[in-house]
Amino acid sequence: MRNVLIIGSGISGMACAVRCAEHGIHVTLVSPFSSERSQSVMAAGGINAVLPELENGDSVACHIEDTLKGGACLGGRRAVTGLCEHGEEILRYLESIGTVFSVDKEGHPLRRAFGGQSHKRTYYCGASTGKQIVSALVMEARRYEAQGVIRRKLRSSFYSALIRDGVCYGAMLYDEAGGNIEAVYADALVVATGGQNALFGKTTGSTLCDGYVAGKLFMQGAELKNLEFIQYHPTALETAQKRILISEAGRGEGGRLFIDRNGERFYFMEDKYGPNGNLMTRDVISREIDALGGSAFLDISFLGKKLIDGRLPEIRDICSKYAGIDVNREPIPVQPSVHFFMGGLAVHLDHETNIRNLFAVGECASMYHGANRLGGNSLLAAVYSGRVAADTLAERNRTDSERPDFSRELESESAKLVRSSETESRFPVMYIRDMLAETMQKQLGIVRCKENLMQGLHDIDYYLSIAEHLNFDSSVMPYYNYSLTGILTLARATVKCALFRKESRGAHYRSDHPERDEKYRAATIISYDDGNFCLRLDEGGAYES
Amino acid sequence: MKVKILRQLSPDSSPYWEIFEYDGPLDNSVAGVLDYINYHDDISDVEGNATTRIGWECSCLQGMCGACAMVVNGKPVLACETFVRDFHGKDIEIRPLRKFPVVHDLMVDRSSIHENLKAANICIGEYRPSEDTDFEHQYTAAKCLKCGLCLEVCPNYVNGRSFYGAAFANDCYLVASRNQSKSRMIGEIYGRAFGRDCSKSLSCMDVCPVKIPTLSSIARLNRLK
Repeated sequence: MRNVLIIGSGISGMACAVRCAEHGIHVTLVSPFSSERSQSVMAAGGINAVLPELENGDSVACHIEDTLKGGACLGGRRAVTGLCEHGEEILRYLESIGTVFSVDKEGHPLRRAFGGQSHKRTYYCGASTGKQIVSALVMEARRYEAQGVIRRKLRSSFYSALIRDGVCYGAMLYDEAGGNIEAVYADALVVATGGQNALFGKTTGSTLCDGYVAGKLFMQGAELKNLEFIQYHPTALETAQKRILISEAGRGEGGRLFIDRNGERFYFMEDKYGPNGNLMTRDVISREIDALGGSAFLDISFLGKKLIDGRLPEIRDICSKYAGIDVNREPIPVQPSVHFFMGGLAVHLDHETNIRNLFAVGECASMYHGANRLGGNSLLAAVYSGRVAADTLAERNRTDSERPDFSRELESESAKLVRSSETESRFPVMYIRDMLAETMQKQLGIVRCKENLMQGLHDIDYYLSIAEHLNFDSSVMPYYNYSLTGILTLARATVKCALFRKESRGAHYRSDHPERDEKYRAATIISYDDGNFCLRLDEGGAYES
Repeated sequence: MKVKILRQLSPDSSPYWEIFEYDGPLDNSVAGVLDYINYHDDISDVEGNATTRIGWECSCLQGMCGACAMVVNGKPVLACETFVRDFHGKDIEIRPLRKFPVVHDLMVDRSSIHENLKAANICIGEYRPSEDTDFEHQYTAAKCLKCGLCLEVCPNYVNGRSFYGAAFANDCYLVASRNQSKSRMIGEIYGRAFGRDCSKSLSCMDVCPVKIPTLSSIARLNRLK
């Protein structure tokens, strides 16, 4: 292939762009803002890999088993094997492009323990691993930008994909500077747009990740997978505007969770799961906290100032700045928060969706993590998936058939946008997004049941009925107006998936179906057919095997 | 509490001040204030006149992405880590960064930071560290948010056409320290686009949200000559 359009310039988008550039493929890298604003910079804890010389009893096989087990047996063995086998290569690659990893006196990268893992294999850069990787990839992408192989297109947002007869030919983009829609043709379209935070409002993630692209592509025929698996991170600090992640590194370094019981500390995780209880997987800890009333404390004070200043300075600073807490003296009040979406666009092992030449990478693609993601695997998957998609594109020949003409669609969508812009509403689109977030937080929480989910579905249907007749809210960016229906549709699909899976597995816990049911040991696939949502289990492993 | 905001609806329109009443929580950040004014109710100015929602940029809301850089009560800051409580009841005045073209209200076009680094080809390319590697310094330099606060406060930075400012110098340091084979090339570019014109006011260090020791970067880069 000769040219690729990539939507999203976080780690997975940049990893894909750089790898494409290495293959000589020309890339247009689209995002509303620069890579420094992407959610990737917030990834704190680290990246998993097994390096032979530092093994200490660990092996790639252990990493594979931990990932599959952590994902409650829904991850595909072939997919996970590919991910884990490339851990070392990816770590070396990131080092080679200048990522500043934390190292020991001999210059060897340092590791820390992360939840749900049998060995210490999470390499890190202080508590800002994502940011350090972004900085290195920005420089590497810049090298190819200077050569004209990568072209960044800022202040542009995805509008829709150009799809005809199951083949993708590029995308329509909304150009904020010009206020118009344009068609950008490419041999392939790669989406790297992150998770679906806007569905839930206050999360640990970026306000820029809203799920619109996945929702719109779903309406255009792309299948979605495992949407019901939403990771609640057990330790977030509640603030007025958002829930701020207290990195798992805090527990990895020895931090202990407790609740106050009659004036005494009750270390509930250690009491139930033994000395390593604080490093159980995120779904387990979140459910325990939820069952104990929804909040707990994390104590890292006993680790000592030297360790905190050296290895956990970001946790120290966040607590001081946003909550006035001195972590050297006081425990941190924490509560679970929506953190990561295991579900997303259904992709095959090469990261292509069911639509030819349409790929998805990073968090917006559903792959590897099954029903629950292990800490340290998201950064690994972000880089790996971007590179896998790029390698696939490099091997693939261009479609010889003539490119269809999309000028009529472009004209029609442009006219629709202009017509909408000419109407006025005092009812802000952001209110509907807020109402949606309230519904999702309430009805699709850590513990679900049919009654709640049905109420959620009812609410979302109501919002959808409003959205269809909503006038244009000119006081916000046009993107917020045209993206609303796609976001609501994705929310509806998420609730439908949660209703469909009548069992409890990983991050999906149903109080009316509290046991795991092996009948559901397969991914949930949802497709859209002219307004109908069709659900099935991927029992044959057509996507992830 | 009154919040006075310098607004500009589009790049070509004229700026004007608008005053809002803020009666929200006092533990809010300035980012929280903007959200509160925008979405707490239908938006109107202090005299009750209906107006449009305030444009501003945000992503992480916790000081990690640099999106919400703006000038609050005369100081270039990140809105998400500047708190109402610290103004002790005084009114708040907010305006966009002055050194960049305004896109909409408090949103500015900071692409010149990246474009200058691209034009000068500041990239590591291959990891070949120098022997006296200082990982802590490199780690902090790589945390640069490209928020533009250092350029806003810099007396030497005007529009980024010849003097590129601290954000440029710190990336130069990072490249030179991570790939020693580029030392000479970096030394030359650094001298031309930074070293020659920096008057060492070091105000950039006072406002940097991630506390990059730019003076140390300068010292290291000066030794490359």
